[in-house]
Amino acid sequence: MDVAVDLPTAQRRAMCALAGREMRRVLSLWTQTLLPPALSGVVFLAVFGGALGDRLDVGGVDYLRFILPGLLVMTVAGQAFANNSTSLFQAKNEGYIEDVLSSPLRPWQLLIGYMSGGLLRGWLAALALGLLAWPFAGGMERPAVTVAALLITGVIFAVLGVITGMWADTFDQHSFVANVLITPLALVAGVFYAVNRLAEPWQTLTYFDPIFYLVDVTRYGYVGVQETAGWAALTVAVIAAAGLFAVAVALLERGWRLKP
Amino acid sequence: MTNDQERTHAALWAAGVHKTYAEGTRALRGLSLHVPAGCFFGLLGPNGSGKSTLIGMISGLVRASAGDVFVFGHDVVAQAPQARLQVGVAPQDVHLDRFLTTREVLVYHGRYFGMARTQSTRRADELLASFDLTDKAHVKPNRLSGGMRRRLLIARALVHRPRLLILDEPTAGVDLQLRRELWSYVRSLHREHDTTVLLTTHYLEEAEELCERVGFIRDGRLLDEGSVPELIRRHGGGDLEAAYTEAMR
Repeated sequence: MDVAVDLPTAQRRAMCALAGREMRRVLSLWTQTLLPPALSGVVFLAVFGGALGDRLDVGGVDYLRFILPGLLVMTVAGQAFANNSTSLFQAKNEGYIEDVLSSPLRPWQLLIGYMSGGLLRGWLAALALGLLAWPFAGGMERPAVTVAALLITGVIFAVLGVITGMWADTFDQHSFVANVLITPLALVAGVFYAVNRLAEPWQTLTYFDPIFYLVDVTRYGYVGVQETAGWAALTVAVIAAAGLFAVAVALLERGWRLKP
Repeated sequence: MTNDQERTHAALWAAGVHKTYAEGTRALRGLSLHVPAGCFFGLLGPNGSGKSTLIGMISGLVRASAGDVFVFGHDVVAQAPQARLQVGVAPQDVHLDRFLTTREVLVYHGRYFGMARTQSTRRADELLASFDLTDKAHVKPNRLSGGMRRRLLIARALVHRPRLLILDEPTAGVDLQLRRELWSYVRSLHREHDTTVLLTTHYLEEAEELCERVGFIRDGRLLDEGSVPELIRRHGGGDLEAAYTEAMR
């Protein structure tokens, strides 16, 4: 190398470079990556919160305020996932992933590098939505809980996006996970209604939806209302994030669907 | 020299390497190859003989089914990061990041290999000038001609000043003038910086002109290896092409 550096320094620089490349991609394509999710969230708020809100009872909470935390979770989850699955799928499909696979990056560093873009996209889109909604929905009851829940949501779905990008060989496979798993699970996770008002078996079935817990704990932070034990849900989410991270690192270590 | 010493001193040391792909293709069948440090080494063989598979293993893109590969004493599996820092590869197929400009392709590559941003940028500008690509610095690679993309791939492989430069058919589809220019550049790099070069090519005159040692590979095995005069002497014929043809029979 030009100037001799120790391996950890070289690897840290490489990870920062990959993270920088991923984040730059998000910012340079902001009309595709940041604007649409923020606008979609605002439209949901306007339609459900503004037009229908007066007719819906969610336990005495203002309806617009009730649905905002769920929309923030949907935004972070959807954008973190979509960004990373697309970026990795493109890099793999077009072959330029070889540039980083042949670099001295360790698997966990490769994962963090690729996650960075999705995390930035999810959190920035949610921040934009939150700021736009703030004058109408009001502030957070427990900001630390809300922020923690959205951070964990970002990590979980950023990792899932990387795994999906590694797995997908075709654009159909790539879209399948988002369209058939994530979007439906998000829509039935109690974003727009109070789950404890559902009839059986729908109420029990909702408890099997992992996104429900992320919505619930975020709502607890934002509104102060919860349907489950909020801290337990957050703890499980942290464990899930750590578990998924470990799985993704193991897959990258093996070169799963990346190296013949 | 013992095996351990050989492994440490060789730029590339591969022993008993096998590779069977998932669909059943046996690309390498016990290949063993030693490339001394500082050598300009040519690896010649027909399509499908295993050259690109071996290169993929050296650069960490292909997993070996069995056998050992060391780069300057570093195991490419157990010490992958250390081994990869020593290697620069200009691949046969052109895969360039379409979100980056020509200059950024080089700068990011340097940073992926541990260079600081300022060092990498300076080095990128040097290489753009050396490969006559300065006026294309801010153009996306998909707007470059085939010859320019080929030059960019070689420049990219050189950004982090690798000790082992691997050129996988670098002059395929390149016109004669550019081919001569590339030869001249790679030769001076080899002489002035003592860079070990592993070249695969189908142009035998290229190997004869450039390489100090040549290996013949077929069906995933090394058939023979030596200097060009040694190979001609052992296989007959008046030049490398005749010796190669004879060895492949």
